[in-house]
Amino acid sequence: METIELLILILKFILFPGALFCIAYGWFLEWFDRKLYARFQNRIGPLLTGPKGVLQPFADFIKLLAKEDITPAGADKFGFTVTPLLTLVVSLFTLLFIPIASLSGILSLSGDLLLVLFISTVFGLLIMFAGYFSGNRFSIVGTERTGLQFVAYEIPFALSVISVALATRSLEIVNIVTYQVNTLKLPLIVIVPVAFIIYLISSLAKLEKIPFDVPEAETEIVAGWQVEYSGKKLAFFRLATDLKMVFVSGLAVALFLGGPYGPSIPGLEPVFYTIWFIIKTLVVMFILSNLRSLFARYRIDQVVRGFWKYLIPFAVLQILAVQLLIFLGVI
Amino acid sequence: MAVLSKLVKWARIKSPWIIHYNSGGCNGCDIEVVAALTPRFDVERFGILLKGSPRHADVLVVTGPVTRQTKKRLVRIYNQMSDPKFVLAVGTCTMTGGVFRGGYGVVAGVDEVIPVDVFVPGCPPKPEAIIHGVVKLLEKLQKL
Ligand code: SF4
Repeated sequence: METIELLILILKFILFPGALFCIAYGWFLEWFDRKLYARFQNRIGPLLTGPKGVLQPFADFIKLLAKEDITPAGADKFGFTVTPLLTLVVSLFTLLFIPIASLSGILSLSGDLLLVLFISTVFGLLIMFAGYFSGNRFSIVGTERTGLQFVAYEIPFALSVISVALATRSLEIVNIVTYQVNTLKLPLIVIVPVAFIIYLISSLAKLEKIPFDVPEAETEIVAGWQVEYSGKKLAFFRLATDLKMVFVSGLAVALFLGGPYGPSIPGLEPVFYTIWFIIKTLVVMFILSNLRSLFARYRIDQVVRGFWKYLIPFAVLQILAVQLLIFLGVI
Repeated sequence: MAVLSKLVKWARIKSPWIIHYNSGGCNGCDIEVVAALTPRFDVERFGILLKGSPRHADVLVVTGPVTRQTKKRLVRIYNQMSDPKFVLAVGTCTMTGGVFRGGYGVVAGVDEVIPVDVFVPGCPPKPEAIIHGVVKLLEKLQKL
């Protein structure tokens, strides 16, 4: 009996809501994003790789794996090799906490919301290391910009999550999801809409997508922090970015959109929950791609000023509003 | 192993990323290369992305004749790219030096400096012609 349970757990980690599913879904999200982005620009986007180009991110990944892997003479060999791997591992690890096939993630501890917030902060740090270790002048500029942008988006991101934690009076992702399902019977976005908007904007900055792609601004500093990475290492970074996309949209679903819960046939919950998870994350990705194609890139000082001047006050107001609601006994 | 090498070949054909370098042309060809990326022609259909860094790219798209000043830089960019790498030379200038041939600062065609896989003639070639050149390059990859 014990061994069977262990086996199921291992399968969970490797196959279904774990690594393989997340990687495949990450590629799918990247394709979805690229395709939407192209459609918004009146282009067609990836078309000839697999049906409608779905396999495009997979083909990119395989191609990069098979390419020559150059370590520049000026780079710090150890850091240059380890950072891509670490980025990939860290972004896979965060996904274990995201509820996908049931109301809780594969891993769930008390206070895991804080842990997830902390680990997602490590993403930014790893990017800074990645740029710093490659010893290229463009990547150093990219690193500086990453650092500045990091200071800008991390605080609103945390504040928006805190207002959720306050509203549900819990720091556990499972409890937040079950609160929305059982107690509130509504997704939390109804109560904390401003926090949801702030979450989306700062997660765009976290993912370094277009209005906030200052650290890798192609037209200014070539490719920013990833300028020296080639072959396998670049493939790992791209995969990590896709996983971060799954993480950000998955956390948005868990915190604001009622988790993977939705109408389902009793007994078949895991299947239906996964389908609801996919639908909801696609909605989040749709919003993010929209924003990405609507705006042009900001300057780094505009990013920092904008986040500090506008987003943080609104996030604080949202927290006060939640307190007021709690005081009035509405939630 | 045969399956694996087939997979790699498929992936290479499906995702050629390009980097664009003007080695001293009149900018006519560059406009056409950029036009190939715009909605009307959209080469992202083939999985082609324009990359800024030579380390990320597979195909070096060169336009214009090689001048004495850009010769060193062209070679350096070519050496910075990671294997397997290919060169697509766009425009008459890249073949012979075109209208610039014989100028005091001009070395002549791109093939005098780095190996070229496909030439696209025209002054400047239409975006259709450039896409045709890319397809020829992909056919060449298929045979490798
Ligand atoms: S081939 Fe013609 S259009 Fe192209 S760079 Fe040379 S002169 Fe200009």
